[in-house]
Amino acid sequence: MEKTKDFRLYGAFIVLFLVLLPLGNLFGIVSNNTISLWGRYFCFAIVALGVDLIWGYTGILSMCQAFFFCLGGYSVAMHIVMKGATASGSDGTSIPDFMVWNQVESLPFFWAPFQSFGLAMILGLLIPAVFAFVFGYFIFRSRIKGVYMAIITQALALAMWLLFLRNETMLGGTNGLTDFKSLLGFSLASPNVKLGLYLLSLSGLCGTYFLSKKLVDSKFGKVLQAIRDSESRTSYTAYRILDYKLAIFIVGALLAAFAGMLYAPQTGIITPGRMDVRASVEMVMWVALGGRGKLKGAILGALIVNFLYSICTSLFPDSWLFILGFLFVITVLYFDKGFLGMIEIIGGKFRRKQITEKVAGHQVVES
Amino acid sequence: MNYIVKMWLGLCLCLFIGKQVVAQSDSTHFYVSQVLNPSNDSARTRAIKRLVLMRDPLTFPVLGAINDKKIYMLNGKPVTTGEPEELGEGSEVFPLYYLFPENKPVLEADGKPKKVTLETLKKVDVSRSDRLALNLILPYLNLANPEPEKRIIAYGQLLTSSDDSKIKILTEALKLENNKEAQTAGKEILFQLKLNEAVSETEAKAYIDSLDSNWGENVTIVLKEYSASGKVAGAKKYASEKVEALEGLQSRIEKAQNLFSGISLGSILILIALGLAIVYGLAGIINMAHGEFLMIGAYTTFCVQSLFIDTLGVKSDMFFFVSLPVSFIVAGIFGLVLEKLVVRHLYSRPLESLLATWGVSLIMVQTARSIFGDLTAVKAPSFLAGGWQVMPHLILPYNRLFIIVLTIVVVSLTYLMLYRSRLGIQIRAVTQNRSMSACLGVETRKVDAITFFLGSGLAGLAGCAMTLIGNVVPDMGQTYIVDSFLVVVTGGVGKIAGAILSGLGIGFLTKVLESFYEAVYGKVLILALIVVFLQFKPRGLFPDKGRIAED
Amino acid sequence: MLLAVKNLSVSFGGVHALNLSQFNLRDKELRVIIGPNGAGKSTFLDILCGKTKPDSGEVLYDGEPVLGKTEVQIANMGIGRKFQKPSVFPSLTVYDNMLLAYKMKKSIFASLFFRPTEEIDFQIRQVAAKVGLSKELKKIAGELSHGQKQWLEIAIVVLQDPKLMLIDEPAAGMSDEETEKTGELLMQLSKHHGIIVIEHDMKFVEQIAQDLVTVLVRGKLLVEGSFEDVRNDQRVIDSYLGRANVQLENF
Repeated sequence: MEKTKDFRLYGAFIVLFLVLLPLGNLFGIVSNNTISLWGRYFCFAIVALGVDLIWGYTGILSMCQAFFFCLGGYSVAMHIVMKGATASGSDGTSIPDFMVWNQVESLPFFWAPFQSFGLAMILGLLIPAVFAFVFGYFIFRSRIKGVYMAIITQALALAMWLLFLRNETMLGGTNGLTDFKSLLGFSLASPNVKLGLYLLSLSGLCGTYFLSKKLVDSKFGKVLQAIRDSESRTSYTAYRILDYKLAIFIVGALLAAFAGMLYAPQTGIITPGRMDVRASVEMVMWVALGGRGKLKGAILGALIVNFLYSICTSLFPDSWLFILGFLFVITVLYFDKGFLGMIEIIGGKFRRKQITEKVAGHQVVES
Repeated sequence: MNYIVKMWLGLCLCLFIGKQVVAQSDSTHFYVSQVLNPSNDSARTRAIKRLVLMRDPLTFPVLGAINDKKIYMLNGKPVTTGEPEELGEGSEVFPLYYLFPENKPVLEADGKPKKVTLETLKKVDVSRSDRLALNLILPYLNLANPEPEKRIIAYGQLLTSSDDSKIKILTEALKLENNKEAQTAGKEILFQLKLNEAVSETEAKAYIDSLDSNWGENVTIVLKEYSASGKVAGAKKYASEKVEALEGLQSRIEKAQNLFSGISLGSILILIALGLAIVYGLAGIINMAHGEFLMIGAYTTFCVQSLFIDTLGVKSDMFFFVSLPVSFIVAGIFGLVLEKLVVRHLYSRPLESLLATWGVSLIMVQTARSIFGDLTAVKAPSFLAGGWQVMPHLILPYNRLFIIVLTIVVVSLTYLMLYRSRLGIQIRAVTQNRSMSACLGVETRKVDAITFFLGSGLAGLAGCAMTLIGNVVPDMGQTYIVDSFLVVVTGGVGKIAGAILSGLGIGFLTKVLESFYEAVYGKVLILALIVVFLQFKPRGLFPDKGRIAED
Repeated sequence: MLLAVKNLSVSFGGVHALNLSQFNLRDKELRVIIGPNGAGKSTFLDILCGKTKPDSGEVLYDGEPVLGKTEVQIANMGIGRKFQKPSVFPSLTVYDNMLLAYKMKKSIFASLFFRPTEEIDFQIRQVAAKVGLSKELKKIAGELSHGQKQWLEIAIVVLQDPKLMLIDEPAAGMSDEETEKTGELLMQLSKHHGIIVIEHDMKFVEQIAQDLVTVLVRGKLLVEGSFEDVRNDQRVIDSYLGRANVQLENF
C-alpha cells in the first residue's frame, strides 16, 4: 500500500518535471526562464534534504547551511570567472575583471587551483566538508546542542557573511561574482545549456534523494533518530554520538555545497546575500513547512516555498516577507508536521469518510 | 630743584610714551575709518596698504571681513555675519559680530545675540585690487576669524610663513584667543617657532617643556623632528626622551579609550541580553523577535520626538525623558500581544519558538519599513552632546556615558525586582520548576505574561537608548540579536550575573580585537573564542548544578 | 570482585550528594540498594555509568578504573544502565529500539553497512518474549504504557549483554503482577550478570534480595546485610521513620 503510493508519487514527479516541462520548453510553451527557475528550485530541494537529515532526523538545528551552499556556489563561480577573465596581472597570468577594479596586481594564491575544472569541483566539496568537520568537531565535542547549536551556527553564518562582504578577501565583496560566460565551453546564456543544467539539477535531486533514503533506512539512519530521541540512551547503548553527528553534519554540508555548485551557473551570479543569517533560517523553514523528518517533506517544502516566492514577488512585491512570516508562525503553531502532515491529515479524513460511507452503504444494502 | 626737574622730565617721558601709544592707536582708528568711509578711492587704497604694513592684530578682523567680502555697517560700526540660521521658507537670519575696535558679538538690549536678515545691512564694497593688497598678510587675517577651526589652520600656516614678525603677531593673536582647542594649537606653533630659533640648551629645553605641557595635537611629531634635526645638540636628546614619555602616555590613553568603548558596547549588549536571558530562563523561549522590540522602542522615541517638536511645538529635550518610559511600555505591550498570540503555545519548545518568532520578526521589520520607510533619525538631546574631558585627548562622549548609567540603573532595578520582590520570587520559582510552582498556587500564565512584558520592555528601553548613537532603521534589531544571543549562551541560561559578565566580556573583547584587527576579523575571532570557551564550560559561565540540571 | 568502590564523593553546590567509603560487588551478584529520597542512590549509579563526574574516589570494574571514561567506553566495558525515568527511543519501533541495543560493532561504517541476520532476529524475539513485548514489536515505543517502557528499557539493557547491570527503580508504575514478573526476570538474569537494583517497594525488595542489601542515607553507607538484618536494624527504621516524622511535622 505504502509502496504503491510512493511509486505513484514518484511517477507523477517524473512525468511532470522530466517529461512535461522539458517537452513544453522544446515546443516553446514553457519559457526558458521557467525552466531555469525550476532548475534552481531543485538545487534548493537538495539543500533541504541536507537540512532534513541534520535537523529532521538527527535533531541538530544547524543555521549555517546557506554558508555551505555558498562555498559550493563560489567555487564553481570562481572557476567560471577565471575562465572568462580578460585582464592580465603584472606577472602575465590572467586575473578576473573585478580584481582589476580593486587594483589587485596578481592573482591571489587561493584562486589558482580554480583554473582547473576538476580541482574546482573537488575543492567545492572538500572545503565545506573540512569546514564542517573542524567546526562540528569542536561543537559536538563540547556537547553543544539544541538552542545553543542554533545560535552558534547562526553566529558562524553571520561572521562568514561579513568576511565574504569584505573586498580584501578577494571574493568580489558585496557584488559577489558575476558576469558568467561559459562553463566547459558551453555558453551559459544558451537555452539548450539552460535545459541541460535543469536536467542535471533534476537528476542531482533524484540521486541525492535516493542516497538519502538509503541512508535513513539503514541502521545508520536509525541511530540518527535515536540521537534525536535520546542522546543519553544512545551513548549508554555504546554509540559514539560525536561520530554520528559529525558524519551527518558533513553529509548535510556536502549536500548544500553540491546544490550550490549546480545553482551558481544557473543564476549567473553569486553574492554574499545568499549566505546571510536569513538565508540559512529560510532553508530550515522550507523543511519545517514541508514536513521535517520526512525526506519528501523537505523537497516539497523547498519547491513550494520558492515557487510561492516567485509568484508573490511578481504579483505583490512588498508583501513577500509578510507572507513568509505568517507561514512561519502558522506552520509552527498549527501544522507541526508541515505540508506533508497536512496532506496526510486531509487524506486520512477523506479515506475515513470513504470507508464510513462504504460501511454505511453496506449496512443499507444489508438491511 | 633737582627733584622737581627729574619729576618733570619723568612726566614728560610718560606723556611722550602715552602720546606715542595713542598716536599708534589713533592712526589705526584713522586708517580703519578711512577704509570704511574713504574720502576718495585712493584714500582707501592707501589706508589698506598702511594697515597691511602696520600688522596690528586689532585690525585683522576688519581686514579679514574685507577679504571675505562680508563687511557691513551697523550704526556706524563695522560688523560681519556669522553662520546663517534657517527661518523656514528660504529666508535666513545671521548673527552679527562687531569687528573694530573690539571683536565681539552684537547683542540686543536684553543680552540675546542680535540676528538680522542680509537686506537690513549696508554692505561696504571694496574693490578687488584693494583686496588683493591683503594677500601679503593673508595668513594673519584668519587669526581673527570667528570660527576656531579656521584660526587653527591660520596658526598652522604661520609655520611656513617667511615673515619676520610672525612670532610677535602670533603672541599678540594668542592673547585674544578664547577657544581652548585653538589656544593649544596656537601655542604649539608658537613654541615650535621659538624652539627652532632657540640657541642655548636651557632655552631650548624650556620650550620643549612648554610644548610637552601644552600637549597639542602634533607634539610628538614636532619633538621627533627636533630630536632628528634640531639645532641644539643637548636638547635633541631631551626631546627624544620626551617623545618616548608622550608616546607611552598616548598608548595608555588609547587603551583607556578602548576600555571605555568596550564597556559602552558591553552595556548595550547587556541591556538587550537582559530581557532575552530572563525570558529564555523562565519559559524556554528563544525570542528571535527580541531585536524588533528594540526597533519598536527606537521608533517610539522617534514618534514621541515628532509629537513634541512638530505637533506640540515643545522645542526642548523633554521628549527624551518622556520617551524612556513610553518606549518601555509600548515595547512591553507589543511583547504582551506576541505572548498571547504566538509564544503562549510554544513554552518549553525552544527550537519551535525560535522559528515562529523569526517569522514574527520578519513581519515586524516589514511593517516598520512600510510605515516609516528606510531611514529616520532621532535628534539627540542637546545636553548629551559633547563629552566629558577626563584629560587632554581623552574625551568620553556623554551619550555613551548615559547608556552606561542607564544600564547600571536598569540592571540594578531588574536585580531588585527579581531578588527583593514577590513577583521576583514567583518568576524565579517558575524558572526553576514550572509545574511545582503551579501546584503551590503561582499563576504561571500570569507570571509568564508579566515576564514577557518586562523582557520586551527592557528591549524597548535599549532601543530608546540606541537612538542616541545611531540611526533608526527597520532592521536595527537584527544587528545586535546574534551578539546578544551569544551573550546569553556564554552567560549561562537565565542568569543575570552571567549576562552582565559575558556582555561586558564580549563587548570589551570585541573592541580590543577590533583595535588590533579589522572589525570583521574581530568578530570571527570572538566567535572562535566563544566556541573554545564552550569547550570548557558548555553550560556557560554560571551553569545550573545538580542531578536535575543534567538532561 | 566485579566492582570495587573506594572513598567516592560528589557534591552539588555544597551539598554532599554522595560520600561512599566502600562498596564491593561480586560477579553474578544481585545487590539491592535502598534508602530514603536524596540518599544518593541514583547519583551512585550515575557515577558508575559515566553520567556524573565525582569530585574524588576510585571505582574499579573487573580491576580496571572506570572514572574518567566516557559513557560509550563504560558501556563497551560491559556496564548497562536502566534509568529511573524510562529512557527509550520514543519515535522508533520497539523492534528498532532493541536492534540498536543489540551487542555488535557500533561504529558509523558498521551501522551504514549493517545487514540484519537471523541470529540477531532470533535473539531480539527471544528477549522480547521474556519481557512480554512480543506483540508490540512493530509499535512505536512512544506509544507504549509506562510499564511497557520500563520493560523495553530492561530489554535494551539485556540485549547489550553487559556483565554489570545498573537498574534504577524497575517496578515503579507497575501493577503487582507486573512487579512480580519483573522480579522473576531479574532473578533469572542474575544467573549470568552482576546486577545492582535500586528500589523503594519493600515487597519487591524482599522478593529479589537473595544476597546483600545496602542501605544509603544522606550519601553515606548506613548498613549492609541480608534483607532480614536490614529490616530489623533500628538505625534503618529510624532513618526512614525519622524522615517521615520530619515530613509529618512539616505538614
